[in-house]
Amino acid sequence: MPIVQVLTAGIGEADLRDIAVYRQRGGYKQFERALRELKPADVAQLCDASGLRGRGGAGFPTGKKWSFLPKNDSPRYLVCNCDEAEPGTFKDHMLLEETPHLVLEGMLLGAYGIGSHHAFIYIRGEFKRGYQIFMDALNQARQAGLVGKNLFGTGFDLEVTVHRGAGAYICGEETALLNSLEGKRGEPRLKPPFPAVAGLYGMPTVVNNVETLAYLVPILEKGAEWFASVGTERSKGYKIVSVSGHVQKPGNYEMALGTTVREIIEIAGGLRAGRKLMAVQPGGGSSACLFEEHLDLPYDYESVAKAGSMLGSGAFLVMDDTTDFVKAAYNLVRFFAHESCGQCTPCREGGHWLETVLERFVHGNGLRDDLDMLHKVSHQITGLNLCALGDSIEPFLASVLDRFPEQFQARVVRAPQDALAKDTVPA
Amino acid sequence: MPENSTVEQVTVTIDGVHVRVPKGTLLVEAAKQIQREIPVYCYHPKMGPAGLCRICLVEIEGMPKLQIACNTPATDGMIVHTESGKAAEGRRAVLELYLVNHPLDCPICDKGGECDLQDYAMAYGQGASRVADPKASKPKAVDLGPTIVLDEERCVVCQRCVRFDDIITGDRQLVLKDRGVRDIIATATGDPYHHNFTGNVTELCPVGALTSKTYRFKSRPWDLKRVQTSCTQCAVGCQQFVDTRVGAVQRTMSLEHDDAISDSWLCDRGRYNVGFYKDERRIVQPLYKQDGEFVQIGWDDAFALWAKAIREAQPGSVGAIGGGRLTNEEAYLLQDVFRKAGVRNLDWRAGRQRQASPGKNGGSLLALEQVDAIVEIGESPAERAPVMDLRIRKAVSRRGAKLIRVNSYESKPPSAIACTDVATIDDAIAALPPHAKRVALVWDGVDLALGKRALDAIPVGLETFAYITGEQGNARGAEAMGVHPAFGPGYASVPECGRDIDGMIADARSGKMRVLSIFGANPALHYPDGPAIAEALEKTPFVVVSELFMTQTAKAATLVLPAKGAYEKDGTTTNLAGDVLPVNAASGLEGAENALSDLEMLIGLAQALGVALPSSDELEAAVIGHLARAAESFAFGDAAFGTPRAPASDEPGLRVLVQSSIFAGGGTIAHDDRLAELEPLPEAAISVGDAKALGVEMGDYVDLHSGDRVMHDLLVEVRANVPRGTVVLIGGLPDDPANALGADAVATITNVRNALAAASGDLAGVGA
Amino acid sequence: MNAPNPPGEFADLYAQLRPQCDAIVAQYEDPRSALLPIVHLFQEHEGYVSHGATRAAAELLDLTPAVVESTVSFYTLFFRKPVGKYVLQVCRGLACTIDGADDIMAYFREKLGIGHLQTTGDGLFSYEEVECLAACDKPTCMQVNLEFVYSLTPQMIDEMIEAMRAGTYAVAPMAQTVQPGPTWSVGQDGQVSLGGKSSGGQDVSNPNNAGGLDKSGIIMLDRLILQEPRFRGRTRERLANADPDIRQVIEE
Repeated sequence: MPIVQVLTAGIGEADLRDIAVYRQRGGYKQFERALRELKPADVAQLCDASGLRGRGGAGFPTGKKWSFLPKNDSPRYLVCNCDEAEPGTFKDHMLLEETPHLVLEGMLLGAYGIGSHHAFIYIRGEFKRGYQIFMDALNQARQAGLVGKNLFGTGFDLEVTVHRGAGAYICGEETALLNSLEGKRGEPRLKPPFPAVAGLYGMPTVVNNVETLAYLVPILEKGAEWFASVGTERSKGYKIVSVSGHVQKPGNYEMALGTTVREIIEIAGGLRAGRKLMAVQPGGGSSACLFEEHLDLPYDYESVAKAGSMLGSGAFLVMDDTTDFVKAAYNLVRFFAHESCGQCTPCREGGHWLETVLERFVHGNGLRDDLDMLHKVSHQITGLNLCALGDSIEPFLASVLDRFPEQFQARVVRAPQDALAKDTVPA
Repeated sequence: MPENSTVEQVTVTIDGVHVRVPKGTLLVEAAKQIQREIPVYCYHPKMGPAGLCRICLVEIEGMPKLQIACNTPATDGMIVHTESGKAAEGRRAVLELYLVNHPLDCPICDKGGECDLQDYAMAYGQGASRVADPKASKPKAVDLGPTIVLDEERCVVCQRCVRFDDIITGDRQLVLKDRGVRDIIATATGDPYHHNFTGNVTELCPVGALTSKTYRFKSRPWDLKRVQTSCTQCAVGCQQFVDTRVGAVQRTMSLEHDDAISDSWLCDRGRYNVGFYKDERRIVQPLYKQDGEFVQIGWDDAFALWAKAIREAQPGSVGAIGGGRLTNEEAYLLQDVFRKAGVRNLDWRAGRQRQASPGKNGGSLLALEQVDAIVEIGESPAERAPVMDLRIRKAVSRRGAKLIRVNSYESKPPSAIACTDVATIDDAIAALPPHAKRVALVWDGVDLALGKRALDAIPVGLETFAYITGEQGNARGAEAMGVHPAFGPGYASVPECGRDIDGMIADARSGKMRVLSIFGANPALHYPDGPAIAEALEKTPFVVVSELFMTQTAKAATLVLPAKGAYEKDGTTTNLAGDVLPVNAASGLEGAENALSDLEMLIGLAQALGVALPSSDELEAAVIGHLARAAESFAFGDAAFGTPRAPASDEPGLRVLVQSSIFAGGGTIAHDDRLAELEPLPEAAISVGDAKALGVEMGDYVDLHSGDRVMHDLLVEVRANVPRGTVVLIGGLPDDPANALGADAVATITNVRNALAAASGDLAGVGA
Repeated sequence: MNAPNPPGEFADLYAQLRPQCDAIVAQYEDPRSALLPIVHLFQEHEGYVSHGATRAAAELLDLTPAVVESTVSFYTLFFRKPVGKYVLQVCRGLACTIDGADDIMAYFREKLGIGHLQTTGDGLFSYEEVECLAACDKPTCMQVNLEFVYSLTPQMIDEMIEAMRAGTYAVAPMAQTVQPGPTWSVGQDGQVSLGGKSSGGQDVSNPNNAGGLDKSGIIMLDRLILQEPRFRGRTRERLANADPDIRQVIEE
């Protein structure tokens, strides 16, 4: 079985929330070594050479993202994105609660690597427990002299601030996150300027996912080559895949990129007895489905994209033949409509329109013309918005409309006049 | 952008046409240069791109996705298509989504006919709708405050109004609430949308979501007759359109390209205070007081009586007051006729203001945006010249100027922009930013000594732009036209000075004044010493007042002449920056058919007196010529403007300061029923320190005593920006005149009544 | 309807929390960044974000109350009205849904006798169906006052509700300074009714809802113009809204 334990090492075996335990297992050694022996540029170089790509969803090469920062001494910020809310993703939640010191060490390395003296972590509001656990870890680290002024006597100052969100999926988008961190509505910003130029408080800022930053620790320890030696040509290293849905053992599994879809399903215990695989959503709610014919597809950024979907955050939702795809489509469209910040008209109005129509389908009140309309409207919303949320509606909907049209057709009502609500005026 | 002459030029091709623009120009602006309109909802030239409405999509060669023209700067060689199939399809797609929930109530929508959504749907939309489901149902008439109503269904969430409140005014009262498709425009719960500029959001709104209460369901845009004129409610002189129908002003609108004067904004006074023209209380016929009762007389009799009174009096016992609310032409004729009749007692200064022109240091309104620091002395311009105050906010919040206020005070809590409050002019100079090269001095024109000290204190080498905010729309014009005891037209010296207003009032109180002619002024309410002016008017046998309404001054007159208002006559006015601006009569106004303009009255008087009149060409030439020569020789507080009024006495107590309010006044505001609810309550604002020392709290009711005079029932406001040792009263409230306590009063607070007790009675139910 | 806190009621709490607020503000380069943590703090102590809390946050961070409300209203974890002692938030994410979350949610609704965004009459339970909670490996999951409960079964629900009623449940109840109404959703009070979904009556105590639709759906065109003036000058409105105790605290 190609499961590995890199970030997940020790989880379930030791109390990694205890700094003593974490340190005993080699924790914070990399941060200390980086401060004592490496220049920030060396850390950035390692990060770049490892081929590490953003594990939050976009898969953008992390070293490249760092390289967009201005090459001067201007103040800059590192922000760790722990606003995990992509449907089907639960890896950051686990890392935060189970191995908070690893998350923190990753942040410290990231901040050092970009030359930032103030790092933030934006924790999803619902992760109240995770927030408390991380706060404890931070306090332990502070007492141990790992956070604060003049660390290890090197003269390097680094402060860490923990910021809790308050219920908004869109804050996972990096500019919306920065707005939220600034005490504003979590609305994505107009780009340019990009955060690397003008981010938090208008200063250069890098926003990296929890898992991305955490991988810096083993990369520092074992070297960029070690990380780059696994995976595929352009999708290097390891990834935590959050497997859920109709498998026997749902959970977070860490593996090399390029493991096949079939292997992942097997890792998670395989399908339930007697059930047939209908679809896999390989990259969270924003991704199109993969099907039976993709079972041998390597799970890496390029291959999944080539198959018409995306790897995203590594949420791997397996759906068998008990799945009602009309309901599933409604569920995700409703999610995106609910979480639309409302700034851009196509996303705000289009999402709600599709939700309304799909809700009718769920109740068996679809109209014949709707099928074509669902396709066209979900497509016309795409690409017209300020951020990617509006573009997230089409992939899943279109893929299941194409694959399972009979499920939708079965919900088309025979007497169209009965389908629509008549009275919209509040009583 | 005036400084862009050195900026690199780029050439961009839009729909096959080459356009040369400064580097960085947004495509939406570049397209305007070739008369190509790219549709926008959220973008506004004064507020920049927001990138939300997504209607301005264009195709740019080499870019796979459609781009928004509002946030894409033109680069050299860029090839843009606004009408290609792809761009048209993108726009059509976005427009369809706009109409998913937008109600099709265009036939009853005030915006119908001038609605961007309607227009773009016609131009770019598809004919039929694919939406089978009912549209969202939301409140149709949300009362946002005293001026504005919101139709939530029509709102397309472009956020222009929200950004206006954020970027332009800084008041931040209007916000977006909730999220996604539930987004609504709202204020803080329980708070009305109420500041000096609310009406602008109705113009910014691309659809019929935000409407003015005064204009709702009043007219279709195509039925309106439009005239462009200058607002004369204050001395900024904002350019505006006056739209009339059925003999009445229906609304006023700002001009999109009035960058130099209004920056395309209007204050709510200028926008909404137009209902008085048709008020039934207007004086419609000359009135002559006989045995204490006014009787209507004809104009011939009025002129005859007036001329007779002047002829029978010694010229030294005749005086004329006013001019600050007249046109330049009227002001010129005023002094011309009276001077030709031998009268030297002339003064436009009916209120507190003593000087109108900043002389050699005067600056343009645009120059305000280029300064490094702005020093406000005396009363803040916030209520005296609101739209100029917006430009100050712009200079501070968007151009990095530093605002320093010297013992300044205003009726609002400290404004949304950063400012440094200092106690003395020396402190202000010390607070100037070290790199400052250009400084603006903004003075209220009241305390001559203070004005002079301020200008003198500016260090040599700093370029200074000076502004006097003043009290009347054409004070600067009246002064330049020579309605002044010491100046003739164009600030020419006169052989012998007449009496200024203080002198005339002193003469009148001692029985030496026989005839006083007051033009478009209400000194009974605005002259700083109320008891003195009351006595003067009473002791003068023949007082003539030209007015629209029975003001406090008109009531004391012998002869009241019905005058035309600013929208009913033609001429020019001079704003506080010295710009000469047109005043044009609105189309077909009814309601004052028998009123005359002050110009016509002066012609009638001249004829009755047998005084020679200039021809209209001569008049025009004189006005333009004298304005052009308007004084380069003097500065703030120059001795030519008279001696400073007596400084405050040393008696213990609170020195009374008077604060303007754009919604207070005994004339046009008091006679506009629609705005009655905006009139502030009489209040006494004191500093936090004084409140503690005196044991009064916010919301208490108090009386104010000075000698044997008393003002009753003033609501206490405790404010951080009131100077210690002073009490600030709102000037111009008809029933509670701030001048009631006398000149430079020092008052004591008496009869404190507790806020809660008061609230349980009178205030119950408000905002509960 | 729940009236805003009487003036002064939040002032005491605010004075007590002020040192914590200051410490939060000190963590950031820009004070406004402290808005979310401070509102979290206020809600922890008041159970919801009251009018007084909004005003206090605005004064502390030099924002207008409108800006604070705008921000607060964006986030679903901030309750703009009082809620029950136990806020039950069941995941309606796709992974839970294909695992039978609908049945769990139906069970909750029936058991509590309330629906989405509603509060029981005794003020004990508020129920909400929320988006994916990031615990998809243990469906159906939920949060009780933001503490996770995984792999729900009807039996677990029975025991949970029973323990909450008995006051023995392991999760601390929400602070409850004001008795909750039937719902805490502002939208559900009729500000917005979307796509024909019924939304109940108008909350006429909210000035933002004045005017509005009449019952027959005919727009009362001139209702606003005809009605009595709602506001007098700015002095009066500010007096009505000022919270003297807060002012005092801030001035000192």
